[in-house]
Amino acid sequence: MTQPILSVQNLTMHYATRKGDVSAVDDVSFDVMQGDALGLVGESGCGKSSIANCLLRLLPENARILQGAVRLDGANLTTLPEDQMRAYRWKRIAMVFQAAMNTLDPVYRVGDQIIEALHTHIETMTNAEARERVAELFKIVGLDPALMDRYPHEYSGGMRQRAVIAMALSCNPDVIIADEPTTALDVIVQDKLLREMCNIQKTLGMGMIYISHDIAVIAEVSNRMGVMYAGRLVELADTADIFARPQHPYTYALMSAFPSITGPKRELTTLPGEPPDLLNPPPGCRFHPRCPRATSVCARDVPAFKAMDARHSVACWHPVEG
Amino acid sequence: MLKYIAIRVAQIIFTFFVFLTLIFFLLNAQPGSSLIDQFTDPNMTAEMRQAIAKSFGLDKPLHEQYLIYLGNFLTGNLGVSFSNYPRPVIEIIFERAPRTLILFLSSTTLAFTIGFTMGKILAWRRGKVTEYVATIGGVTLYTIFLPWFGLMMIWFFAFILGWFPLGKFLDPVLWRGAPFNSDVIFGQMLTTASAVVVALFIVYFISRRLDPIRRQPTQIGGALVIGAAVLAVWIPHPAARYALDILHHLILPIATLATVSFAGSMLLTRNSMLETLREDFVMAARAKGLPDNVVRDKHAARNAMLPVVTAFVFGLALAIDGGVVTETIFSWPGMGQTLLQAVSRKDIPLAIGGLIFGGSLALTAHLIADILYAYLDPRIRYS
Ligand SMILES: Nc1ncnc2c1ncn2[C@@H]1O[C@H](COP(=O)(O)OP(=O)(O)OP(=O)(O)O)[C@@H](O)[C@H]1O
Ligand SMILES: [Mg+2]
Repeated sequence: MTQPILSVQNLTMHYATRKGDVSAVDDVSFDVMQGDALGLVGESGCGKSSIANCLLRLLPENARILQGAVRLDGANLTTLPEDQMRAYRWKRIAMVFQAAMNTLDPVYRVGDQIIEALHTHIETMTNAEARERVAELFKIVGLDPALMDRYPHEYSGGMRQRAVIAMALSCNPDVIIADEPTTALDVIVQDKLLREMCNIQKTLGMGMIYISHDIAVIAEVSNRMGVMYAGRLVELADTADIFARPQHPYTYALMSAFPSITGPKRELTTLPGEPPDLLNPPPGCRFHPRCPRATSVCARDVPAFKAMDARHSVACWHPVEG
Repeated sequence: MLKYIAIRVAQIIFTFFVFLTLIFFLLNAQPGSSLIDQFTDPNMTAEMRQAIAKSFGLDKPLHEQYLIYLGNFLTGNLGVSFSNYPRPVIEIIFERAPRTLILFLSSTTLAFTIGFTMGKILAWRRGKVTEYVATIGGVTLYTIFLPWFGLMMIWFFAFILGWFPLGKFLDPVLWRGAPFNSDVIFGQMLTTASAVVVALFIVYFISRRLDPIRRQPTQIGGALVIGAAVLAVWIPHPAARYALDILHHLILPIATLATVSFAGSMLLTRNSMLETLREDFVMAARAKGLPDNVVRDKHAARNAMLPVVTAFVFGLALAIDGGVVTETIFSWPGMGQTLLQAVSRKDIPLAIGGLIFGGSLALTAHLIADILYAYLDPRIRYS
């Protein structure tokens, strides 16, 4: 098998707050292969954005990476000095932010903001070359290149979103992280953009990590997917496989809440209770207070993230048999 | 953009005439302010008085006087000063206004630059000891009583250390019998300074259009060429020594004014910057791999600057007051001192002239700030 382009190993990150540590990312591991579109799904507050920010190391001051590694080309991004880290940002890992609407600086022309990224990473690029590249990117994301000399406030929401995607593509990154990039848009634009993003990712063959709380979106964009619960990755497999044979009770519950048109009909089950407070997560498996299959071991010991087969891993003491 | 500027200019001109009307009637409504009564100078003959009275139309009712004044004003005639008889007011303004302008412009620019730079650094490196020291120090200086502070500056830097002269615009001993007129030399210095500012801006704007690898060399090269040109003009200049003397006299008053006023910009910038730093585009700028100082200056501070510029303009009116006080403390023969003397001697034409100068300065500053703001914030619609 080929080497992964990005490998996250046992990543653990806390936010220090006055009330104590928020355990936002706990022992998370996954690989992204060339051309992979990895979907990360989970409820709001389960640490999806925190993982994304760890990868680029764009963390607030109270965040501490306690353990683990983010490996790219043999370098460990969690321990790299800041000035070397800069060379990885955007050139190797680019990001389309959750609040993508506000990621453009209001006082500069949109094209110039993309040119700025190009010039930062490719110092010898001339202005003419950079403008040509921006025009090319605008065409890829379906924007009129003439718009590059306009300011962000002259763009509609959908256009801004496209521009932000063009900006993320600008330096040909190995991996693009898209953190719920379409939440602020209306459903039709959202759907259209989603499809286009998938196409772009497939044509350019880069790796992508797509983050969403919406399992339908993940089903559409990803070929592999990870399910997160309360700061932990509980299941990771090929998307089709997860939909066919969910192993973790949480994934199972998610799936059954998602009526599939093609698959066999399942009974809609709703989970009792609330996701835990990450300031004080439950011991053992973090899902056990809500889990219908929980036993005493679940409340005591953290289940290991085990490979069921080569491409399907799950962290559960009592996986659902597929 | 041009239309926007034209409309603003029209508004400003209208405001100016309202202002002119107000000060004309206010000053002439002072008790005992009839101009004729003020001529107590025994050297002045009856004919002189009559000539003046007539030239002002003083025999006519006030509203007619006002119309005549307006007419004269439009031809550039502000009348004759009584306390400096028979010098025309306009001539006195042309002599002294540049001295005030340079004080005012240099100190406010300096104060803004220092305040803005410190403010953005304080916000960027939050919670360090420097933040508390700078904040407390800045507030102390900001609230300090300016006349007292000015005297302390003179006492310490001029009297104790002897680094600077005790005040005034130039050293009379040095200039006695000098083959130059100080106003001419000062005019040349001002021209040089303006040329340098314009040239630096041109270099900056040209360099921004260049390819990135050629930007910095162009900027450094341009600055060096400009510096060399200034030296080439002034070193062989026969009046270089005299110009240096004026420069030497300028430093302490400018430093005093800038010291008491930079804190306003500093605290505002800091607060505005702390808000901007939470914006998503700042995070995006970091994600793009930009160096810290670029994220700070080009993105965070550039956006944080917008409210600071607005507040700065409203502060300009206060800065003019500060200018009057400073000129008095430093015996600086500029418009502030002139206005004070005109008022205390009831020299109404000169007082009106001084107020016109102050008013135009404030209004022009307002106009410039408006244009600057529209330039700085593309979201402003020019309508
Ligand atoms: N700077 C911070 N300080 C303290 N706690 C934080 C901080 N940022 C995030 N958290 C907490 O960390 C947890 C994970 O947050 P994160 O933003 O990663 O969630 P998410 O999965 O992206 O949620 P959403 O779907 O709402 O975007 C949340 O409980 C959140 O409250
Ligand atoms: Mg999030």
